Amino acid sequence: MSVPAITIKNLTKRFTNPSVFSRGGIVAVDDLSLTVEAGHVYGLLGPNGSGKSTTMKIVLGLVTPTSGRTFIFDKDSRDVESREAVGFLPENPYFYKFLTGEETLHFYGKLCGLRGAALAARARELLALAGLEDAAHRRVGGYSKGMLQRIGLAQALVQEPRLLVLDEPTAGVDPAGSRQIRDLIVSLKQRGITVLLCSHLLSQVQEICDRIGIMHRGRLIREGPLEEMIAIENQTELVVENATPELLADLKARVAAAGARVVGEARPQQNLERYFLDVTRDARDE
Amino acid sequence: MTADPAIHAAAHKLFSFTRVWAIAANTFRDLVRQKVFYFMLVFALILIGASLALASINSRGQLQTVIDVSLGAMGVFSILLAVLATAMLLPKDIEDRTLYTILAKPVARFEYLAGKLLGVVGILALAIVLMAGVFCIVLWYWRGREIAAIPFYYDPAEAAQRIELVRSGTFTPSLFGGVFVVLLRSIVCAALTLMISCFATSWLFTVIVSFAAVIIGHLVAIARNVWQNPASFGVDPPWYMDGFLRLVTVAFPDMQIFNIVDEIALGTNVAPAIFATIAGLSAGYIAVYLLVGYVFFIWREL
Ligand SMILES: Nc1ncnc2c1ncn2[C@@H]1O[C@H](COP(=O)(O)OP(=O)(O)O)[C@@H](O)[C@H]1O
Ligand SMILES: [Mg+2]
Repeated sequence: MSVPAITIKNLTKRFTNPSVFSRGGIVAVDDLSLTVEAGHVYGLLGPNGSGKSTTMKIVLGLVTPTSGRTFIFDKDSRDVESREAVGFLPENPYFYKFLTGEETLHFYGKLCGLRGAALAARARELLALAGLEDAAHRRVGGYSKGMLQRIGLAQALVQEPRLLVLDEPTAGVDPAGSRQIRDLIVSLKQRGITVLLCSHLLSQVQEICDRIGIMHRGRLIREGPLEEMIAIENQTELVVENATPELLADLKARVAAAGARVVGEARPQQNLERYFLDVTRDARDE
Repeated sequence: MTADPAIHAAAHKLFSFTRVWAIAANTFRDLVRQKVFYFMLVFALILIGASLALASINSRGQLQTVIDVSLGAMGVFSILLAVLATAMLLPKDIEDRTLYTILAKPVARFEYLAGKLLGVVGILALAIVLMAGVFCIVLWYWRGREIAAIPFYYDPAEAAQRIELVRSGTFTPSLFGGVFVVLLRSIVCAALTLMISCFATSWLFTVIVSFAAVIIGHLVAIARNVWQNPASFGVDPPWYMDGFLRLVTVAFPDMQIFNIVDEIALGTNVAPAIFATIAGLSAGYIAVYLLVGYVFFIWREL
């Protein structure tokens, strides 16, 4: 078995608030254990304040846990070295306003030990990947939310990490931008990069994640492969085009005869996101 | 992605000057683009204004007054720049979550702090070089005036001697040494401010505490004299007073080590060894502040 991308063992984080009123502070993460296998896209879900961001920050060594340990590819998060193999996109990131997109990537590349022609090539490649070639020489201060999110993703990828940690990568981004980011994550997965992400957009999580964990008040209350968790084992969906009323009546009769039961009947609707994207694309083409 | 094995092959170094340099260069560039240099214009205006005011009074010893005013203004501006520019570095990175993206790279917290300080040192050096440039131009003009003001009825030998005296007494090594001490002092102030911002929760707190520390720093020498030698002051401090004085001496920078600038402004020549001593003391302060700041920074909940 290969080395897991992330190992979290009995992690607890208690924030001791400086305020006198909240004695004992807040338990943001409560005895959490979790493994993210290499090559998976893992979705961490949960309501606001359930401890998702805190967990990610501890994994990245940004926050010190109260107890428990975390590892990235078997390297302790407390060691700076563990960060060689990981890229992080925090929640609502901002970058140095006075730098251009390209300068931003050069900066982060240098922090990872890249330099010279290799760095320049890598930055160009990432700008293309993030669809920011046209904005490469514009200052980040003028970027839209979606562009910030994408430069953030590019920045996270600069040293070709094997693991990506994304905190709400599509928060506040319009549907088209959100879809771009989603597609990017899918293409990264195809290249074998492990992704840990948390998001509120459950439909997107459903589309791209192999495995999910649900957190509530710092505890991991459900965990497992997505398919298994949401499939309704004894039901099958059948979508028919151009069915006549006679055909439908016939089908129902056969279902009843076989001892099965028709649970529901509905006209499938177009996905609103799909519809919105189609309409706005048409409008743009005109 | 075409994984380049060279990228990951090298073992991680605990301290890499390349990373420190990348952060320093970035900090420097960010500060330059924030146009912190506009206040350099204020400095130039003050200097030229003071110079014009002096010209209208037209008394003796103007050259020395110009030097005095310039070094004084340079000192004040360099400390202002050091404290204000440094105080916002950390809070801004924390608020924008830029700090997360930097520390999520293989960057040690010490490298981050050292890089920030080095970036500010770059800005201070540039600012002081620019101010010194304006200063030299103004001084050069005033030297010309002073020479022109030597009375024509002096006999040629005496006139030549006086001209030589003004010439050699203006751009002295001590004067440039004084500018260097101004730079050292501003770097110490920057390091102190960076340390304070490592535990402060707001920008304003950092600015106020830093300025207060700099001001108290001017009294440290007095405090030390009192606790080391109370009898000579005719006092017998109670134990708590004694403890307080010791605390002040240890906790605050002794800004009087930089008072040599005031003497230079009055025309005193200072031996190179004294500059070396000041540089050594400054390096000590900077190292201590950086280390203490680092300890706070590690404890800090980001
Ligand atoms: N630096 C901090 N100091 C004090 N409390 C914090 C801090 N960071 C997070 N918390 C608290 O920890 C809990 C979990 O927060 P977080 O991990 O951000 O949740 P999520 O990302 O799931 O919305 C929240 O109650 C939050 O208020
Ligand atoms: Mg969060």
